[in-house]
Amino acid sequence: MNRPPTLGAKILMYAVLVLMTLFALYPLWFAILASGRPGDRLYTFNLAGMFIPTEWTWENYRTLLSDTVFLTWVKNSLFVATLTAVASVCLGTSGGFAFSRFRFRGREAGLILFLAIQAFPGILALVPVAQILSAIGLYRNHFGLIMAYMAGQLVFATWMLKGYFDTIPIDLEEAGMIDGAGPIQSFVHIALPLARPMLATTTLFGFMAGWGEFFLANILIPAPDAKKTVMVGMYQMANEVNIPWGQFAAGAVMVIIPILLVFLYVQQYLEAGLTVGGVKG
Amino acid sequence: MIGWSGRRKTLTILLFIAPTLLGILIFSLFPFVLNVFISLTNRGKFHPNPDCTNALWNIVEPTCWLGNPPKGLAEPFGFQEPMLKNYADLLGKLFGGAALQALLYLAIAFLPLLVAWYLNRRFGRRLTRPVSSGVVWLGGLAVALVLGWLVGVPEAYNTLLESGDFIMVNVRTILYVVVCMPLFFALGLVLALFLNNSHLRGRTFFRVVLIVPWAASTVAIMMSLVWQFFFRQQGTINQILEIVNIKGPAYLNNGTWAFVIVVLVNLWYTYPFFMISLLGGLQSIPLELYEAAEVDGAGWWKQLTNITLPLLRPVALPIIVLSSLTTYKVDAVVWGLTQGGPIVGAGKPGGTEFVMVHAYKQIFQTQAFGRMGAFAVILFVFLFAATLYSLRVTQITKGAYE
Repeated sequence: MNRPPTLGAKILMYAVLVLMTLFALYPLWFAILASGRPGDRLYTFNLAGMFIPTEWTWENYRTLLSDTVFLTWVKNSLFVATLTAVASVCLGTSGGFAFSRFRFRGREAGLILFLAIQAFPGILALVPVAQILSAIGLYRNHFGLIMAYMAGQLVFATWMLKGYFDTIPIDLEEAGMIDGAGPIQSFVHIALPLARPMLATTTLFGFMAGWGEFFLANILIPAPDAKKTVMVGMYQMANEVNIPWGQFAAGAVMVIIPILLVFLYVQQYLEAGLTVGGVKG
Repeated sequence: MIGWSGRRKTLTILLFIAPTLLGILIFSLFPFVLNVFISLTNRGKFHPNPDCTNALWNIVEPTCWLGNPPKGLAEPFGFQEPMLKNYADLLGKLFGGAALQALLYLAIAFLPLLVAWYLNRRFGRRLTRPVSSGVVWLGGLAVALVLGWLVGVPEAYNTLLESGDFIMVNVRTILYVVVCMPLFFALGLVLALFLNNSHLRGRTFFRVVLIVPWAASTVAIMMSLVWQFFFRQQGTINQILEIVNIKGPAYLNNGTWAFVIVVLVNLWYTYPFFMISLLGGLQSIPLELYEAAEVDGAGWWKQLTNITLPLLRPVALPIIVLSSLTTYKVDAVVWGLTQGGPIVGAGKPGGTEFVMVHAYKQIFQTQAFGRMGAFAVILFVFLFAATLYSLRVTQITKGAYE
């Protein structure tokens, strides 16, 4: 499997890899091209323009950032996603520590319960969640949406952190025990500092999940425009009668590129997240 | 030692778990309990409000808590008569004769594949085999196709599709998963094999670039909206076809095309996951095995089928199971592309209306909340069982069963 490939094999391999690279990148490239096209056209009859930038303008970006509510949507999404991520990590860390370090009655049941909750997709919980939120007056409210996101994110964060605490050698805490540190001291002074990279990663995962979520946001905050998240806003933009395609593409580029960079950064931790199903695979 | 053991231990554990547990109780468990209650009622567009004078509803129903329950002219909702009517409505015809017969036929057609699997497993360890495992699989597949033609699998499939929307979307989603998985796996494996060859220059570059679709799947709804432009009447595909004077259709308005496109786009999102996971598996296979095989004169194909694939199994099986589950729950990818369409008739699920898309559409189209509650409970039971099975495969709860 690891001998030097023959020339023919090498050419074939490069051909496949280059073709796949084009397949992987073209949709994004298409969006970038369309975002720089003057006018409200998504397509250009100039075929070369579908593949290389024949014309370029920043006009779409300028209109989007100054005229529409786009920036408000981004702000809403940032608020919701950040608060969801931070809150789920704050509530989940101590639980993850307990599930990793202690053996107690109900521990197995708790872990199974986590999995049961993970197995239940958010869309299916829409009916009861919408009822509860409208009953307590949080329907069409960002905090209501955050509560709905918490259902999935809290379990995900707890599980991720439990897994990470499992990998931290217990020796350090034992040394602390001998010096008289109780569980709380050892949690605060030993485990938490060691878990810092995982805390950051879990927060980023939570942020990405909140940023890209569409279905719950679409139902729980249907109106007004100024309260929508960016996914819902952009989706609605793509379904208007006179679609401002250039602006849509510009928005898509601005929404996707940052999250792409974040993803490539945390990608090394993905394996752990996948086993819980909290990250789409 | 205070707090690690003895009397104080319980208190400490409670202190640690309390925030997490409280959050889960409020955000996850209560909605689920409420959902089970809703699934037993006729709540919906015509009976939206609870009867707060009823003691039971006063406790369970949050709209009753604040003292000013919503009032409407419509009659308040109550339990279904019989109580499990919503469940019966959804599953109803599955236990009728025709659907069971169709299921039986499908099972018969599937049998040869099971036999092939068993034979390969039984004789897998033999050093000398008259036929290789691939031939056994192909033979099983051929027999399955013939049997399927004999018992009439297409008719059986159509019978299943016609025995209720719930069964229809489920059967269609399972078909979708079955079509997707081999494609995901094959493409992921090919790319992983290429990237694992250390004589290839630029591996790091390709490894990073080919992951990009996976990153895009975190904003799946946006990327799917971009994807659907390619398949419009005046989309990129048709523009290219126009050069050779072919006038392409509006692909997403055709049921079969729409299905194929949803598979293709999901392949785009998912192959990096397979590629990266399988690459990790490939790198853990010791090189000595290949060297030994080389000495024995085994060619590339022999090495692939006798060393690589068997040793890849522990990695491949869990990711296939996990990915089957996520593919079954596919939502944003389809919604951005087709919204479950194309429409085939009033009140009928569209051509690509998979389970989650169907659930989502039903919630705000028919607003039959009671029935959707039952839908959620049935799917929950199924998904939970599948997750437990996938755990047995991945064994990630090792900690739970010490």
